Parts: sequence; C-alpha cells; structure tokens
Amino acid sequence: MTIINVTVPFHLIKKIDDYSQIINEILKHRVSFNILKFSTTSEGINLLLDIPEEKTKQITESLMSSEIQVNKKGRVTLDEDLCIDCGACLSLCVVEALHYNEDDEVEFSEDKCIGCLICIDSCPRGAIKESK
Amino acid sequence: MIKIVEESGSKIAAEEVDVVTTGTFGPMCSSGAFLNFGHSDPPIKFDHLWLNEVHAYHGNAAVDCYIGVTRMADKRPFEYGGGNVIEELVSRKQIRLRGISNTTDCYPLGEINTYFTIDDLNQAILCNPRNAYQRYVCAVNSTDRTLYTYMGKLLPNFGNAHYCGSGSLNPLSNDPDYETIGIGTRIFLGGGIGYIMGHGTQHNPKERFGTLFVKGDLKQMSEEYLRGVNYEKYGTSMFCGVGVPIPILNEGLAKKTAIKDEDIITEIVDYGIPRRDRPRLRKINYKELKSGYIEIEGQKVKCSSMSSLYNARKIANELKEWIEDGKFFLNPPAKNLPTDTEYKSMIQTDKIKFVKDLKKKAVICYDDCDIKIVAEKIINQNINHIIITDRENKLKGIVTSFDITKAVAKNKNSLEDIITKKVITTSDNEPVEVAARKMKKHEISALPVIDDKNYVVGIISSEELLGG
Repeated sequence: MTIINVTVPFHLIKKIDDYSQIINEILKHRVSFNILKFSTTSEGINLLLDIPEEKTKQITESLMSSEIQVNKKGRVTLDEDLCIDCGACLSLCVVEALHYNEDDEVEFSEDKCIGCLICIDSCPRGAIKESK
Repeated sequence: MIKIVEESGSKIAAEEVDVVTTGTFGPMCSSGAFLNFGHSDPPIKFDHLWLNEVHAYHGNAAVDCYIGVTRMADKRPFEYGGGNVIEELVSRKQIRLRGISNTTDCYPLGEINTYFTIDDLNQAILCNPRNAYQRYVCAVNSTDRTLYTYMGKLLPNFGNAHYCGSGSLNPLSNDPDYETIGIGTRIFLGGGIGYIMGHGTQHNPKERFGTLFVKGDLKQMSEEYLRGVNYEKYGTSMFCGVGVPIPILNEGLAKKTAIKDEDIITEIVDYGIPRRDRPRLRKINYKELKSGYIEIEGQKVKCSSMSSLYNARKIANELKEWIEDGKFFLNPPAKNLPTDTEYKSMIQTDKIKFVKDLKKKAVICYDDCDIKIVAEKIINQNINHIIITDRENKLKGIVTSFDITKAVAKNKNSLEDIITKKVITTSDNEPVEVAARKMKKHEISALPVIDDKNYVVGIISSEELLGG
C-alpha cells in the first residue's frame, strides 16, 4: 500500500460533504483503501489515505485533474542542531523518511515524508516541527 | 576487540590490546548537579529556590542546592525541567535564581532574585546516583490506545517497539564481573573527566542490571554530552554521556570485552499493563533490537532506540583519543563494584486498593429491552449508569441517565439509538488509581468491570472512588 496526503482546497468546498469528492474520485478506480487521518488545515480539508500501490499513479492523476492537491512533499522539518540522534522517532515513521544513516545518525528524507505528523510529539528535543 | 579476538584469539588480544573504551549516551533520569552560589550580602539561607522556574532541592546548608533533571518547571511542566537547566548551565547561558527564606538572625535576607552563569559559581558538580544501566528492556504496548511513557511514544496493538542502551558498547557489559570498575575509577562524563563514586541506586548485578553512581566537575563538561529532554506527557530528563575505559589486565577481560550485541539478552515488556510486574513477552538480544524490526506474535514490528548509538560510539572514540594523547590516565579502583547487591521493590504498608475492593453490583438491562425499563431502573435504584448486556451477561454497552434525557428530548424510542457501544472498561485486578485515570482521561464517571471473557462482574463509578 502507498500512503498519500490529499487536500481539497477551501475554494472547492461549499458544503462540508464536498470532501467526499476525494472518496468518489478514488472509488472510480474500484479499489479498497483506508482513511488514516481526516483533518482541516489552513489550506483545506486534508486526508491521509492508504491506497493500493499499483494504482497510485492513476489515482493521483485523477485526483489532480479535479483540482485536488496531492502532496508529495513532507510536512515536517528536522532541526539537526537540536536532534541528538536518539531514534525515538524512527519506529513511528512508517515510510522511513526518518531513518539512520550508515553511522547511525538520524536523517530525514523530506521526499519520503507523507506528513502524517505521528513523529512530532515523539521527539524529546522538539527537533521535529510541522513545516508551514 | 570482537574482530581481534575472533581472528587471533583472546590470548594474543590480551597481549596486544591495552584498553577497550566503552560509551553510552541515553536518557538518565537519576541525574543532577550540586551547585554552590557563595553568600549574598546580607546573607540568605534558602528555604526554597528555583533555577529558571525549576524547583531545586535546598536541604543542604544555606546556599547549596541540588538540581535534579526530572524536576519540571512550575509554570511549564512537560516542557522545561532540570535537565534543560543543566544543559544551559554548561552552555554558559545566564540562569535566573530566585530564592526565598524564613530569615534568621544570621541569615536575615528574605528573598533574592539574581542571574548567574556557571562561572559565577564556587562549585558545580554533576552527581548522578544512577547512570549507565548495563542493559534495559524493550517496551511495547498491547492496548488499543497510544501510550506516552519514559520509553517514548508507544503505538497501540504492538504498533512499534523501543529499546534503550548501546548494547555491546555499554561500559558494564564489557566488564560484567566488575574486575576493573569500582569506587574512584576515572571515566568520561558529560564531555569532561568524572569519577565513579560506587555502584548506582537499584544496582542489580545478579540480573546483569548493574548501574553506576558518578560525579564530575560540571564546569569542564560540554552541552554536547549533557542534553535536556522532555518526553511528551511523561516529563523531563537528561541525556548524559558516560564512557568507561576497561584495561585488559588478563585474557578473561579480552574475552569479556569481545562481547557482541547478540550475547546481550533482554526482554520485551508490555507497558500496556501499568503494574510493577509488567508482562514479559519474550527474550530478545541487542542484535535483533538494533536491526530496526522485531517480531511480536508473528508480526514484524518497527523497533528503534531511545538512546544514541552514534553518540555512544563518539564517546568511546573520544575517550580512546584522550588516552592516546596522554590526557586521560587509567587508575585502579579503591574498591570494586559489588556483585551481590540485592534489588528490592518498595515496601507498601498501606494496602493498595483494587477495583474488586470498591466495585458495586452492576444494574443490568438486556440489549433487547425497552428504553422505558432502563429509565425505570435508573429512577428506582437511584443510579446514573445502566449496563447493557446480552442474555448471557456479556457486555454490549452502557446507558446513562443523560442518554435517557437525550432520548426524550430527541424523541428516540429504541435502546439501539442511545446506547454507547464503545465502552471503556476495567477489571477486578486493576488498581483503583488506574481506573480513576481512565475515567479522568475519557471524562466519564463510571466503568463496567468485566472479566477476561467480557462478562460483566460489576461497576465502579466516581462515587465509589470518592468514598473509598
């Protein structure tokens, strides 16, 4: 499964139910999927979805054609000056965006991050922050 | 050392290697520092004092104190604590001191507010009663909710696992019989030179859970190896860097220092059960822990460390360089660490109350009964909660007097419409304190008591807790 982070921008939302546009777009592809997180952000209604890997490309394309944003970029930053390379965040990162390098230093790969934000409150140094 | 022993044997290794350096860098809650401020004019004898709003211990003479790392700031707990104060002290930042006194003829000053740095102090002595645990357990969570513990954030249903310690790099694991380690042993402590004062508190050598009591001059140390931390919903602590040199005095020590991660065994412990004797799932070695994944009940579970292996290695290397450069000298201990200390649990003379001691008989309705009957029972028995079960007495849900009121207001007639099916429950052997925490957390006033097969065996409500 692949995890994608999608946002329906506020200008597309007239009624609260309009977020279901995302669901309908995905259901067109006749797949089963999981909603991992549902939240609102300053940009719109945000869903974290677990979709079948082989359909990622088609689903992403069809969502984007309806002006729904599919965020590939992560939503956290790691402050390396504050980080003490402990690893308390690593077990929480399902996509291994937070990982050890070969010297066992904690590294953050922004391109892998899906913005689930589960790691944020695991850092005892406050080194992981949500990026704006 | 592992490689040399493997390739050339322990005899040659003992001849060729003089010293093996070890290191560990993790959260060490039993840490703190003694500070002496010198006397003010007019003089003050502290009855209470705070360093950046963190209460320090003042029970030793007029202007001495002990700042402990798990003490949290009065006004911003779970955010800032004694560990942060120590990190800022070694970073040579200004610290605010506020002290109050009852005043005496010899110490007339009632209150003082001042700022100081570590260089203004007479002494700043890091003094940690329990550091460098020989090994530690691996923590997991079997419950259905996220737990915030001193072992970090533990996801529900064994969603992740956390361990602590540097494994084969750990000081005490490299000299498990304490042949070279004891009172007076010179060590690397917080980036400076420190000394072992003796065995640490909770030293448990028989179970290979040895600990160290260490001290050192905080003024020489570095913030790189003393880092204040705060664990979400748990509190503050401090990462402390400890490195111990092990002189290879004999072939036996060559063999012992060649210890591998797979030789150090610990246990996977379920932190979901908040009791002293938490359930042990199975044994596990540090090699498996360090691999990033462990297996629990047939599932692959992500596992990571609470301590830093990178920094532990850096400490061992730095200590090695100090020795090579002639900046650090090894010394024999005045007395070796004890190998026969007993480890005891707290004696509790007040009996702990369990749910079974305070629970009441539950008033039950079957899930197919009419709302009216539920309402009648609430009135007749003067209670607020009705437990709903099936005909076999298995828990199906709960209905409160408020739910009935709501049903009337909204014109709902069926039990199905008002029943709460996702019920937070407790069991006979849960301590009352744990049940009370559940009620507080979920903002509810009663918990059905169930057995392990989901049969209802009672109810406990906030009224019983207040009465008991």
